[in-house]
Amino acid sequence: MATKYFFKKDDQCVLNRCTKFLSRYNTDARHFYGAPGEQSQRDRIAEAWRFPVIDTYGGGADAVNDPAQFDDYNEVTFIYAGADSRSPASVSVIGTFATLYEPIPLERAIFEDEPTRFWSLTYVVPKGQRHLYRFIVDEAFPVNDPVNPQLELQDNGQSWSRFFTDSFTSPLEMEPWELAILYRLAAEILPFQTADAANFLNRFYNCLDRATKERLYNNAYRMDYSVGEVNYIHNILAREERHHLTGYKKCLRIIDRVLRQRSPFVEPENMSREIYFDLYNEMATNQVAGWDYSQYSSPQFFLYLLRRHVVTGAFCHPKYGGNAGAAGWAYLSERYVTPAAAPGQKPQTLFDWRLSMEPPLGENRDYLG
Amino acid sequence: MIQATFDVIVIGSGARGAPIAHILAKAGKAVLVLEKGPLFRPQYESPNQRSDFKRDELISDGTEKRIQLAVANKGQAFYSSHVEPDINDEPHIYRDTDGSDKATIEGYTAQVVGGGTQLYGGVSFRFAPLDFRLASFNAGRSDIRRDPNADIKREARDWPISYDDLEPYYTKTEELVGINGESRNQQKPFSRDVYQPPLAPNGISEYARRGMELLARKLNPQNPILPYRAPLAVITRNHVPSGRKVPQDPETEKTSYVNRYGDPLGLKSSTWVSLLSPIKDLPNFIIRCNCVATRLTYQKGKVDRVYYIDPSGVERFAQGKTVVVACSGIESVRLLKLSAKLDYGFHKAIHQNDLLGCYFMTHCFGGASAILPERYDKSRALDSDWATDCCATEQFLHDHGLWAAGALYNNTSDDALPISLFRTLGALDLDNLWDGFMFATDLKAQALVNYLDDQFGRGLSISFMANQVPQRTNRIELHPTITDKWNRPVAYIIKNWHRHDRYLMDTYANMAAQILQLSGEHLSGKQIKAVEFVGKGGSYLAPNGIVRIANHILGGARFGKDRNDSVLDVNCRAWDFDNLYVTDGAFMPTSGSGNPTNTIEANSFRVADQILAGL
Repeated sequence: MATKYFFKKDDQCVLNRCTKFLSRYNTDARHFYGAPGEQSQRDRIAEAWRFPVIDTYGGGADAVNDPAQFDDYNEVTFIYAGADSRSPASVSVIGTFATLYEPIPLERAIFEDEPTRFWSLTYVVPKGQRHLYRFIVDEAFPVNDPVNPQLELQDNGQSWSRFFTDSFTSPLEMEPWELAILYRLAAEILPFQTADAANFLNRFYNCLDRATKERLYNNAYRMDYSVGEVNYIHNILAREERHHLTGYKKCLRIIDRVLRQRSPFVEPENMSREIYFDLYNEMATNQVAGWDYSQYSSPQFFLYLLRRHVVTGAFCHPKYGGNAGAAGWAYLSERYVTPAAAPGQKPQTLFDWRLSMEPPLGENRDYLG
Repeated sequence: MIQATFDVIVIGSGARGAPIAHILAKAGKAVLVLEKGPLFRPQYESPNQRSDFKRDELISDGTEKRIQLAVANKGQAFYSSHVEPDINDEPHIYRDTDGSDKATIEGYTAQVVGGGTQLYGGVSFRFAPLDFRLASFNAGRSDIRRDPNADIKREARDWPISYDDLEPYYTKTEELVGINGESRNQQKPFSRDVYQPPLAPNGISEYARRGMELLARKLNPQNPILPYRAPLAVITRNHVPSGRKVPQDPETEKTSYVNRYGDPLGLKSSTWVSLLSPIKDLPNFIIRCNCVATRLTYQKGKVDRVYYIDPSGVERFAQGKTVVVACSGIESVRLLKLSAKLDYGFHKAIHQNDLLGCYFMTHCFGGASAILPERYDKSRALDSDWATDCCATEQFLHDHGLWAAGALYNNTSDDALPISLFRTLGALDLDNLWDGFMFATDLKAQALVNYLDDQFGRGLSISFMANQVPQRTNRIELHPTITDKWNRPVAYIIKNWHRHDRYLMDTYANMAAQILQLSGEHLSGKQIKAVEFVGKGGSYLAPNGIVRIANHILGGARFGKDRNDSVLDVNCRAWDFDNLYVTDGAFMPTSGSGNPTNTIEANSFRVADQILAGL
């Protein structure tokens, strides 16, 4: 019976993912964008967040060989960069995606028939999951991935390297109260509190089939006036733009205090729209009554950041966690249509995004995602 | 042991290098291509039928990073695509108008097999015959405006080859690369029309076509030069030379994931899918990806070694009877200068005069844009539908006191997707993406809906691409302090716009605006809501217009007939080397009246024949 969930990608694919980011002679911390005090060895590496590499799956592991299932999985390629083409002698990985007691060996990537310093293993993991892992190098004690900046503290005080796959919607880095404030602020920016758009979202979510609804609502928050943009924000703060996580947390703490001063008897999540409306406008002018400027000097900068993240989250490919069920795109495709040619004739959309997108999300017959 | 001896080593796999590799490998020569970037294959070649190129707005302009180098714009955000270099690792530095040094993403195409042809929109003009003889054309003129010091007459150069010399190679390029378009109405002689048929234009482009026609009739009522379908490097029929197949319904190829996106289906004619993939299995052809060439060494009139760093970071070398440097103008000049710095023999030979790096050019470019009364599905489009040469006649240049011409074309796929609409709000180049939207804090809730109502599917822009005056002071040097991730000095871009460039850009921006206005007026006469004009201008007007390059990287090692006036001879061979050729845009003495890729490819096919004859 076929049981292997892992395989070795071809060497060209592996090296394609390594050189730009990991190969270098210069050891300056050229890639540190975070808050003071957060420096690490990883600042020498470009886009360290790319590791392990999460990609679309198109076959390769004999345990998942039915093309109908491919879209439910990602391939996760673990990369370990050794000192040179001779050292270390062996690398393997253990992680929660498999059994924690059976290390799975990585293999050296080959360049022109010669060994390189890069090791890899590709494991097929369902979408929407988060896992912990460590490398075992030269059969020594398991160590965290020296590249991937995502570390998760365990209850025993140990940190493990972590990754999550596409369409991930569980908050790992943020508290429910932080997410609640983010949703309220995002709602100030996006169209979905306007009557037409709210109406659209109600219909959109009501028309979903049960399985899709469960998938979208699982862990997602306040889908009544959002398209999952905060899931996106959470995911990129956990990974691609981790350098903004501390700033976000500081600002949300300050905002929480400001809001409670303004309305002491109501949870920020439930405060009136007027309060958020005023707060937004004050942030836009960088003059927020009650803001602790010693903690974070520019509420305006935070608002700029939030604006970029919110619209990106609303209209990005759903694999990033936002634009849930492509609701953001669907809003545009419903709003922008041809004038009806005759009574009873259905108008044609003027944003037919499905034609370009891979199935099952879209309808393109050739593009596979 | 890794093979280290070849007939030809080509550094760079884009428009400049791939044609040479293609011709020589097919002729049985041992060819090595060195490419700094990865090999991202289309679906049909990928082991798991999935491409690394995606239809995903977040990989064309990625997540935020910040410049960390010791430059004046330290801390500025940038959003590079997945195949563009990381500015903190491999920056280009330019000198701003205030004398400060800044890092920029401008001037890079893409670091991937296929280079810029993977990301470009595919607009594939030929240059016009006049572009090859601008010194002769301007020699006796007294009607050139905004050139008080007569710089143009002093600096304009005729190319050492004519349009007629290059014409067969244009045809070869259009055939082998795979380009769709129309030769009718182009003001360039065609010996053969080998274009594939264009797809049906997007509805929004009819405004552009009509405006181009009305402008042509206004400029020359007796003999109007009518618009033509913009030539695009996208196949629309099965392409025999490369073996590529189009979808059952080629119209489904239309997607706005075109410009700045690699094509997962391989229908856009990158040099990988069109020229290199067809030779990839030849035993005499090797491409080493993820390998950066670091220096060339000199021995007895020849480049004797090409040093490169392999994917693991190990320095290796290879030897070739012929060495072709084709890694895009700025990087090619940099490689030659770095080699000269480390090898005295190389230094003496490449600096037989003091012109290396000088006369760096891009294009005079810009345009005009409008919001149309009706909405169209711009997400079903390719990069451009219509173009016109009506402002490229000698009469037009005389009438307007211009030294050289430009082409006008419409952009169809720009701002077709929601995130691109937001991130390019008010942004004039890749260095200030997102700023406009982030700062426009009033754009929220209902105002955001109103913005989308106004903009989404309604924006139409007309672009121009025209010759820039060559200036010796516009140049590429090595930066004195900033180094790349391999600890090598980076390229230092020193450039400015000539006064005539500004005038030329204003003139062509007015023509672009007239196309929109004439088209709109035509409609207004029929009681249809008028076109809402948004703006016009040349790129010099941008906040950091000094560095704007449009990724058209030209000049810096120009070719010519006189060894005292050029870096390369007529065959793009460095004068004092027997075996060193430079074939990217660096060879151009003037920048041409259109997007340069087609001309660079055609010239590379020409040089390939010369190299082959000598091997």
